[in-house]
Amino acid sequence: MSEKTFFTNPAVSRVLGVAGAVLAVIAAMLPWSTFLLNKGAYPDKATLQFFDAPFELTGFRWELLIIGVVALVCAVAKVPAQRRVLRGLGAGIFAIGLINFGFIASAGGGLGAVTALDGTFAFGSVAALVAGVLLVLATIGQPLEEIPRWSTKLPTPVAYLGLVVSFAALLYVVSLTLTAGGQGGAASPYSGPMFLSFLGFAGGMFAGAAGLGVLKWISRLSEQHRVFSIVVLLLCALSLPFTDAGSEYWMTVAANIGVYAATAIGLNIVVGLAGLLDLGYVAFLGIGAFVAANLSGAAASQLGIHLPFYLVVIISAAIAGIFGAIVGSPTLRVRGDYLAIVTLAFGEIFQIAARNNIGGLTGGSNAMPNIPALEWFDGTAFNESITLFGAKLPSGVLYYFLIVLLIAAVMTVFANLKNSRMGRAWIAIREDEDAARAMGIKTGQAKILAFLCGAVLAGIAGAVFAHKTSTVSYESFLFMESVTLLAAVILGGMGSIPGAVLGASLLFVLPEKLREFSDYRLLIFGLALILIMRFRPQGLIPDAHRRAELAGEDAEGHTLQDKPGGDEPEQPKPQEVPAR
Amino acid sequence: MTTLLQQLVYGLILGGTVGLIALGYTMVYGIVQLINFAHGEIFMVGAFGALATFTWVIPEGVKGTWYITLPLMVIAGAVVSMVIALIIERLAYKPLRNAPRLAPLITALGVSVALKEAVRIWYPGATAPLPFPKEFLTGSIELGSILIPKTGLLIIVVAVVLTVLLQVYINTSRMGRAMRATAQDPDTARLMGINPDRTIVLTFAIGAVLAGVAGVLYGVHINNISIDIGFQNGIFAFTAAVLGGIGSIRGAVIGGFVIGLVKTIAGQYFPGGTQYDYVWIFVVLIAVLVFRPQGLFGETERVRA
Repeated sequence: MSEKTFFTNPAVSRVLGVAGAVLAVIAAMLPWSTFLLNKGAYPDKATLQFFDAPFELTGFRWELLIIGVVALVCAVAKVPAQRRVLRGLGAGIFAIGLINFGFIASAGGGLGAVTALDGTFAFGSVAALVAGVLLVLATIGQPLEEIPRWSTKLPTPVAYLGLVVSFAALLYVVSLTLTAGGQGGAASPYSGPMFLSFLGFAGGMFAGAAGLGVLKWISRLSEQHRVFSIVVLLLCALSLPFTDAGSEYWMTVAANIGVYAATAIGLNIVVGLAGLLDLGYVAFLGIGAFVAANLSGAAASQLGIHLPFYLVVIISAAIAGIFGAIVGSPTLRVRGDYLAIVTLAFGEIFQIAARNNIGGLTGGSNAMPNIPALEWFDGTAFNESITLFGAKLPSGVLYYFLIVLLIAAVMTVFANLKNSRMGRAWIAIREDEDAARAMGIKTGQAKILAFLCGAVLAGIAGAVFAHKTSTVSYESFLFMESVTLLAAVILGGMGSIPGAVLGASLLFVLPEKLREFSDYRLLIFGLALILIMRFRPQGLIPDAHRRAELAGEDAEGHTLQDKPGGDEPEQPKPQEVPAR
Repeated sequence: MTTLLQQLVYGLILGGTVGLIALGYTMVYGIVQLINFAHGEIFMVGAFGALATFTWVIPEGVKGTWYITLPLMVIAGAVVSMVIALIIERLAYKPLRNAPRLAPLITALGVSVALKEAVRIWYPGATAPLPFPKEFLTGSIELGSILIPKTGLLIIVVAVVLTVLLQVYINTSRMGRAMRATAQDPDTARLMGINPDRTIVLTFAIGAVLAGVAGVLYGVHINNISIDIGFQNGIFAFTAAVLGGIGSIRGAVIGGFVIGLVKTIAGQYFPGGTQYDYVWIFVVLIAVLVFRPQGLFGETERVRA
């Protein structure tokens, strides 16, 4: 770090930062493609001729303009933690440039489409790429600053107002993210790149806000006013149907994501808290779903009974829990990687059994169709549309509400477990099993209990899943699904609740958005796993303890090895990440 | 009786394939304590590499001549597997050498998925199972009333021969000693003048070559390959490696033969038949891990996984 290079000169950094930001703004106004793509004009007038109408911005070029202006302000003004902010914004600009560069070049026939062809110029994406690089270069000269700590000693009304505004903004971003680029598929051929551009924009802005310490401030504030923020968050989640995202399609997508998010939180108990790698976890979701299907009077069910939903949930959870304890029992003798293989073996056994319609309970390749929809007390089926507060909500919205409540419940369970005696025992086992044992923790019991709790949560989610999709097939519970769930937990940050939700949302919304690239979906997924483990093993929203372990930092968040780009320091006390 | 003997033959053939793959698992796990999930895909890549060589490289005139075609395909498969494995080792695993243990395991999962998808997307026609050439080695040897396919016999012989060679190499050569030393204690090995990085690379290379050879022979025997052969055979092979005792060369191959026998015998005689034969392999795996985690030939001190 002490070496002097060209970039350590503050004047150089300053010039680079301003130049990058200005270039980003210019890039937003430049044309991006030299010709019309076969499927029509690429997003929102990106195919303008040079300076035809530079100010008619829409779509991703708006986003670029906004982020560019923010970067310019931050580069010129004296903002705290300037390098951190600029680095985040620069990465976002670079991402927008790269996504559109790659898309236009690949869809429009090579590099000519994004540079110069037939005398027309379209350097928009190249300019954005350069702008992003310049902004990042402006920040590498000196070590990143500490994240500023804003005071949270505010009068209660002000704090409440701040929280409400923050969470409303979060709701707005979620709604924008869901609808960004529109529904994938033939109707809007560019939804993939437009969505990714939006992600780049949102990611860049969030990184900038994180650098400013705003995110930390919100999280500490919500920690102080825990109950209030939970209520507000819940209300925000419940009001998503009233925003732009409140169409039938997005409600279905959101409900699907919700099921996986709840399952991911359950997996987080096993992997994140107790440190037991489970590669067959989706089997418990499957067990819950099949039990629910059989007990709810599905047409193919041989039991021929239709129990009320609450009973079904309890039984599903109980049976999944029993299997969880069975799968967990080898943990008494098997550790580490070997345990991962045992869980994988159980997952495969479940899958083979379900494929072969074991006991006539799973329907085999015919699946279990026609599982009746849930009914509200007045007989409204959950898949009908309803009118609430004068707004007509699309069908499927009731399932969305149910799943939001489910996630809230699962989060509560998780948070309480984590802080309980058992949760601390799990974390101790994760850190060092022998030491935990020496401290008097009954490690065998604790590990089986971890599997059991995780399985119960997955069983509940499975019961809801069965009713929501109305058809349960073994194909929903293959090894890939287990890996995806695991990846969601890891991507979000092991042991962290908001992380699991964020990870599950990203991993299950992306395939929905990237239909066009569906052929490359798994390839990108595999590469992403490799890259995450390489560059951010602690996940996007890391848990304080976990970060200490994976990022080579001590519990207080100070980097142990002196490496540039070491991660942002944690609060002095390793506290829980607030339930968000 | 004939059925039983015939099933035993099939079991040994499957076991030979599984054993060859298992050698890679056991060596890599022995030296870097990583379950290389991608190893099954290395096997698959080897088969595809050989198929590509047969389709596009080997001249039309000699395609039917087995003593030219087969060695060329085996070499091609082995080379492709090795190159891919070395790239993976360098780019994905090496940076994580000192990372917490979960990290490389998840990386290996990612590599496995990515490799499989890369073949599916970029190998022409790999979205469906592809026919694998066999015209140069057909027919069976009749032994009383049982049939031993020539390709199957080849697999068994190659598996046994390569295992013996590998065992001799590891026990007697300089690099073999370096590998054993690194497996025991990389830090001390480094002090003794061994380059652990190079040794680890060599281990990956040998494992990949064996998997590549297995892939080619498997293709020749089964006559058709798909991108899915890697995952399943990989799991079988891992089971075999654990059964034989991680780190033990002969254990891996004997484990492979046991796994092959379990699958065919269970498919024939156990309830559920071939629909559930995989389940019995997993049952064996779980039972071994729970009751004898060091495996048949493993050393007890290696048990601490």
